[in-house]
Amino acid sequence: MHAYRDQYAQLFRNGRDIVLVAISTDTAEDLASWARDDEFPFLFGSDAGAAVGKRYGAFVDRASGPLDNRTLFVVDGEGRVAYVAAPFREIDPTAYEELGEALKRIAPPADEPAN
Amino acid sequence: MRAPLFVLWAAALASLAVAVPALGQERDQPLEVGAMAPDFEIPAATRYGVLRDPVRLSDYRGKTVVLAFFFRARTRG
Repeated sequence: MHAYRDQYAQLFRNGRDIVLVAISTDTAEDLASWARDDEFPFLFGSDAGAAVGKRYGAFVDRASGPLDNRTLFVVDGEGRVAYVAAPFREIDPTAYEELGEALKRIAPPADEPAN
Repeated sequence: MRAPLFVLWAAALASLAVAVPALGQERDQPLEVGAMAPDFEIPAATRYGVLRDPVRLSDYRGKTVVLAFFFRARTRG
């Protein structure tokens, strides 16, 4: 999640017209304390039992129980999946370039002059 | 003969009741581009603490939403 934080202004426009929700099976309390310690500027969702991950096909079964795995979906304003990165390659810079291009296409920046 | 048939029926109905929601909700493969994103309602948090209200995907209709699933808090992944 640190790369998301470090690129939040550039990639997610500081949340101005893009909502980033980071989702894991951790409790909301654990996510809040991590977000406080590491100064994450975005929203976290607590997905107990990976129930949401299962509906999105973004989970993995572990001996300790199901976990959400590294998958990224961009959902457009009509509620449709507009971009999928499965798995999202967190340490690969090109993954962020591709995501940035997708976000420009799906949510064109309002302050960019129209052609 | 009626009793065993009834038992079979009951067993079939019971297995349907269990199997159908699971089939509808659990996917082995990620949702694809063009699919409707299933709505959800989950507890939410920010760096300022746990939010009083859960977050719903449908709260953000009209906006672009990035859902980033990840393994665990306090990991690099």
